[in-house]
Amino acid sequence: MKILILCTDAYGGHGGIALYTRDLIEALAAHPAVERVVAIPRIIRGALEPIPPNVTFVASAARNMAAYLRAVARVAREPWDLVVCAHVNLLPVARMLRRKTALWIYGIEAWKPTRRGRALVGGVDAVVSISEVTRERFLNWSGYAGRSFLVPNAIHLERYGMRPRSAALSARWSLKGKRVLLTLGRIVAAERYKGFDEVVEILPSLPEDIVYLAAGSGSDLPRLTKKARALGAADRIVFTGHIDEREKIDVYNLADVYVMPSRGEGFGFVFLEALACGVPVIGSRHDGGREALRDGELGLLVDPSNPAEIRTAILDVLAAARREIPPALAHFAFPNFQSRVHSVLDELLP
Amino acid sequence: MCGIAALFAYRDDAPPLDGGELAAITERMRPRGPDGGGTWLSDDHRAGLGARRLAIIDLSAEGGQPMSDAAGELRIVFNGEIYNHAELRARLQRFGVRFRSTSDTEVLMELYRHDGERMIELLRGMFAFVIWDARARRMFVGRDPYGIKPLYVADDGATFRAASTVKALLAGGRVSRRIDPAGAAGFFLTGSVPEPFTIFESVKPVEPGSSFFVDGRGPSPPRRFYSVAATFARGFDQETIADLVVPKALLRELVVESLQYHLVSDVPVGAFLSAGIDSTTLVALAREAKRASPRCVTLQFDVRRGTADDEAPLAERFARDIGAPHATRLVTRDEVMADLPRFFDAMDQPTIDGTNTWFVSKAAAEAGLKVAISGVGGDELFGSYPSFRDVPRMVRANKVPLLGAVAAHLMRNPKAKHFALGRTWAGAYFLKRGLFMPDDLPSLLGLDVAHEGLSRLDLLRRIDSALIPDPRTAFGRVAALEAAMYMRNQLLRDTDWASMAHSLEVRTPLVDAALTRQLAPLLLAKGADCKRYFAESPRPPLPAWLRTRPKTGFGVPLAQWMELEPDGTSTRMRSWAKVVWERYA
Repeated sequence: MKILILCTDAYGGHGGIALYTRDLIEALAAHPAVERVVAIPRIIRGALEPIPPNVTFVASAARNMAAYLRAVARVAREPWDLVVCAHVNLLPVARMLRRKTALWIYGIEAWKPTRRGRALVGGVDAVVSISEVTRERFLNWSGYAGRSFLVPNAIHLERYGMRPRSAALSARWSLKGKRVLLTLGRIVAAERYKGFDEVVEILPSLPEDIVYLAAGSGSDLPRLTKKARALGAADRIVFTGHIDEREKIDVYNLADVYVMPSRGEGFGFVFLEALACGVPVIGSRHDGGREALRDGELGLLVDPSNPAEIRTAILDVLAAARREIPPALAHFAFPNFQSRVHSVLDELLP
Repeated sequence: MCGIAALFAYRDDAPPLDGGELAAITERMRPRGPDGGGTWLSDDHRAGLGARRLAIIDLSAEGGQPMSDAAGELRIVFNGEIYNHAELRARLQRFGVRFRSTSDTEVLMELYRHDGERMIELLRGMFAFVIWDARARRMFVGRDPYGIKPLYVADDGATFRAASTVKALLAGGRVSRRIDPAGAAGFFLTGSVPEPFTIFESVKPVEPGSSFFVDGRGPSPPRRFYSVAATFARGFDQETIADLVVPKALLRELVVESLQYHLVSDVPVGAFLSAGIDSTTLVALAREAKRASPRCVTLQFDVRRGTADDEAPLAERFARDIGAPHATRLVTRDEVMADLPRFFDAMDQPTIDGTNTWFVSKAAAEAGLKVAISGVGGDELFGSYPSFRDVPRMVRANKVPLLGAVAAHLMRNPKAKHFALGRTWAGAYFLKRGLFMPDDLPSLLGLDVAHEGLSRLDLLRRIDSALIPDPRTAFGRVAALEAAMYMRNQLLRDTDWASMAHSLEVRTPLVDAALTRQLAPLLLAKGADCKRYFAESPRPPLPAWLRTRPKTGFGVPLAQWMELEPDGTSTRMRSWAKVVWERYA
């Protein structure tokens, strides 16, 4: 079986979709019937992670759009059993290949119509979504009526773990003796759906030993800072700036609660990361967070529009003061992800 | 769903409570709760609670009221439904709370014990309750955000009294029956008695979306936990959220969630069905959610049979198409005339509305239903009332010099000469929604009562207070005005008494504080047509013949039956108001 993957970013990429695509490539490549996987990325930002032996990662394609199209053209005539279109924006390219195509969708990129989206989606053989909410929202505009599957994110549990609070980080952000709420994500106007605002708004009503670690960089920081100041909560919030990948696990381990009352998460992989570090989490009932937290089994769900619910959930978690890596998190462990990917493959290519 | 009562002789020198008064108040509410009832009086006769119960959740005796905890420290009477009671129960159980029943009443009581007064912010539902906290010797009183469930109080400075209806409070015999001129003036100006007044001087409503304590010093000032104006002011800041998802998809998700909460019940939930978009869409969505159609009832009026205004054939066609069990109930003039004495007896305060709910609830009860969902509030939520267009227009028009005078000259509407009132949002809203004008009142109430009533009522200032904080958009302002005036004082109040008179609980998935809060950014988004998204939200969407038909009146043809005629300056509704005023007493 030969599989071609058209992706925006994977190895050497940052962020959730890059991570998911790497896991997807690894899972596909591990299927016993798969001989070869070729992945063509649009973007590479950093050093490449180790790539499985039966995978060809066409790094040269990432230079520009012309290079990308040339790379696709070079392999266009090969007998691909399946083309995986790993981002809805690459659908025009994928459709040109006229092969069996599976489209992967994640979150906001698939919640609203894309250019020529409806026409292009019609010819797709399967849609694979990381969450029910993304699938529903996608079906609502696309008119797609074919086969669809759910393959939620994977977590490599072995890469995380509970650790004592890092003294260095605690000192850097003056967290000694404080209880810490954490949200990790880009703080930009276009991603205001993360829920930073909602947490800042309730800070003044929380006990004074609680501080909010807003971990991320972005252009919306000045606005959020101003807002915190206006609410008299400026000294209760720490903006960390960009978090280095190497420090991430230590940052999670600073937190007493990971809270993200968001509205725009396709799934909410960060919840799994926090849980894998033993940090209790609070997520949203109104986006993919609900599924990441398995309808409340893995963490508390709140209505992001209700400050009282967010506040109560935070106080409840702090009152319980319990840290553990929940056994039910194994539902999302990589081996389970891999078998979900294989089931999709087996159904599409019997 | 119930009728509740509470008494508290809070001042030391207040006479001990009279069990007979408590029994009389509670008994007056029997139709609200035919399934059971009871009263409780503290050993020292300082506090008492009473309830009549319509059992919907936990039908067993354990769900009965007044309910007490094992130690007798907390006691509660509660009218309404807490739709998220299962989640709240699960949360409390995590803290080790052990429940003796499956009722939402017990959840309320334990939630109060755990979270104190802020518990009220966690409730999703319609509710009015009183909790007697024997440890602190105080009562905790709360009412839902929109005022779907009623609660009235009378405080004579020594004893505090509360009940679900004004008439029940009076039935105890200790509350003065003196008519409040402000309430009377308010009735003629708006068609219903506007809060914070009632028709009786000694009786006041509990402000919707607020709670307060009553302790040895009497009632504390209310603490507001919800405001429609604030919700829209906040929604304005969150407009970007509405950009993330196809609006239609987002609306469907949120409405379906609200509906699912409103279908939580231990007895079958039916539905009122007209040929309008709100009720048909809700029925179609309920069918999807439950994988079975709710039992539906539709009214048909003899004088409209066979005319274009007869909605019954269309409702029947819709019900047939989606396979819903359906009954059309014919209402004749004779039945209306025969029902009027009971209708006026059940009418808790004078109002020009309530007839439709009266008959459709009667029909639903005859069909064996205890609970029905209704599309009321859809026009207010989605902004599909003419007021959403006309009120902002009037405010704008008043900014043009002399336009008011010209319009007054050209328009033959009796309100035209008051056109300049439309300078302010409150004035424009009153012009749009008002019934009589202030200068009509002396002929209706007499000069003294009219004068006193108008000055105490101070209607425009009252209307204006619904706009604090400023909702910042025209839509938000009209939505806040509709919620605080027409919806609160007429639509929801009349829905309550007219349905409870038939022991029917009406649920309103489109009047839901959480839904408004969640939808606000979308309702305010430019170009959003939420009514259309709503109509298209069922799968499959409503048929085009339903979606595109012009809106018809929802009213009962009272004017035809009662041969009410306009008399010069008076409209038919004004004539009906005069009938109501005479008959109410």
